[in-house]
Amino acid sequence: MAQRSFLEVRFGGSGGQGVILMGVILAMAAARDHRYVVQTQSYGPEARGGYSRSDVIISDSQIDYPELQGIDLLVVLSQAAADHYVGLLRATGVFVFDAERVASPPRFRGPSYGVPFVRLAVEETGREQVANVLTLGAVVALTGVVSAQSLRQAVADVVPKGTEEWNERALSRGLALRAEEWLRSNA
Amino acid sequence: MERWHYHALQEAIDSSTLLVQGNRACALGALDAGVRFFAGYPITPSSEIMETMAYELPRVGGVFLQMEDEIASICACIGAALTGTLAMTATSGPGFSLMQEAIGYATMVEAPLVIVNVMRVGPSTGRPTAPSQGDVMQARWGTHGDHPAVVLAASNVADMYRLTMAAVRFAQRFRTPAILLADEVVGHMRESFSTELIGRYRLTSGDFDFTPSYVHPEMVREVHPPHVLGSKTHPHVTGLMHDETGFPTDDPAKSDQFLRQLHDKIGNHRDELCLYDVKNEGKGRVCIVAYGSCARSARAALRLAEQEGLPVEVLHLYTLFPLPVEIIQEVARRVEFMLVPELNLGQYAREIRKMAENWTTVISMGKVDGTLLTPREIVDRVAELIGKYESV
Repeated sequence: MAQRSFLEVRFGGSGGQGVILMGVILAMAAARDHRYVVQTQSYGPEARGGYSRSDVIISDSQIDYPELQGIDLLVVLSQAAADHYVGLLRATGVFVFDAERVASPPRFRGPSYGVPFVRLAVEETGREQVANVLTLGAVVALTGVVSAQSLRQAVADVVPKGTEEWNERALSRGLALRAEEWLRSNA
Repeated sequence: MERWHYHALQEAIDSSTLLVQGNRACALGALDAGVRFFAGYPITPSSEIMETMAYELPRVGGVFLQMEDEIASICACIGAALTGTLAMTATSGPGFSLMQEAIGYATMVEAPLVIVNVMRVGPSTGRPTAPSQGDVMQARWGTHGDHPAVVLAASNVADMYRLTMAAVRFAQRFRTPAILLADEVVGHMRESFSTELIGRYRLTSGDFDFTPSYVHPEMVREVHPPHVLGSKTHPHVTGLMHDETGFPTDDPAKSDQFLRQLHDKIGNHRDELCLYDVKNEGKGRVCIVAYGSCARSARAALRLAEQEGLPVEVLHLYTLFPLPVEIIQEVARRVEFMLVPELNLGQYAREIRKMAENWTTVISMGKVDGTLLTPREIVDRVAELIGKYESV
């Protein structure tokens, strides 16, 4: 996916899953790759509940319109977010979802990857909180949307003191995923 | 004052690339321009400006105050400005309403200060987390009396940095409050922002002099000599109509002269104050005139229109007031339509119509549902206007 000159990415989940931060970290990593980036988000999901989103546009030229007009890469950690956002996914897009949190994945004809991100995070570190960082690592391993090196640096820039080790382990676990192992469909 | 050139943005993620939130860029622009006093009251979607100032100002020897409300906030800023300190406050619609009386006072006593309004959907409490441009005419006419206004509008994160700097410069140079308008999307978005850009926007020390009572030599004939609190003189400052001594006057001639001078110091410098940018200049039958986040939609619409063979140009206004009469009339003479997309019900389109209706047809395109105008919506309207359905 890194070859595409214009890419629209949406992360979706429920409040508290770290979805907003996933968008921020991906945007920081893309900026480190020297690309133009805009990141926007739904506001205040922790107060509202339901689904939240964090959007990133990555481009080789200056970005004019700041919001998504379609989705090239959709990453969701909850059923509600999957159901709500899959309709915006372009036919050429890629769909990534948590295989356990999204129990009945909506139909999508293009490449879909179902990975139990939250379970892998708990197995690896004993902590659900780092599932977002593991997911980011996995997304980069599966799609190459940004460079692994930039992602590592971006994660190191934002994780709170005292959590570096768990996040590092989660990130490495995600980056080690092999695409063919998790591919669900590819029409 | 020697620490004014602070380079806050060099806090960089690394030396070549940054990802900065709009509200944060505004605060960093203010710090880089020498703002050393901030008083405010938090309100969505502007709170991150205050948050950044709370963290950064004490580190550069500045003063940060959280006040009990927005009236107190702007009055504290005026007090600081009267001692010669560069002051700023930031708010959104409801807080901006509370500030209106004091904006008139600041204009009257010629206190330089910057007021940032990150707009949300109104009236009243409205929708705190949705973008709007509903405060445009409030920024111009919100305070009573016949007063001048300097109003800028930011469309992206880089604007939040550089237009805050421009607002500081205008406020200090013309000794008047300067208002920077943004909206929820611009304030909350994070955007890549290169250090190269910062270098280009950063003002040099020659642009500023922070000596209290300083007036730029070019402006001495137009700006009244400031009365500085704390300068061991006995200054008198009043919102009553006053003469050059600072004491009230009822003299019709002096009163008339004073008010006209307040206007002229802004109106005579439109060439310096009016910032704009024309894309695809001279090649359009329709000109999209836009500001703030709508200008981003307009630029994207221009690319779409080019693909579809529609002759469009874009006039992106960074300064809304004083009215950029010259460029509006220049463009109006050559296009068939001026299309004005706004996140309000046509507030600025009415201003453009007054300036341009002798030469062209001005069409207002307002949206108030709390979402941005999409490039598609704008291009569809353009196609409709020039009757070229077949090419869409």
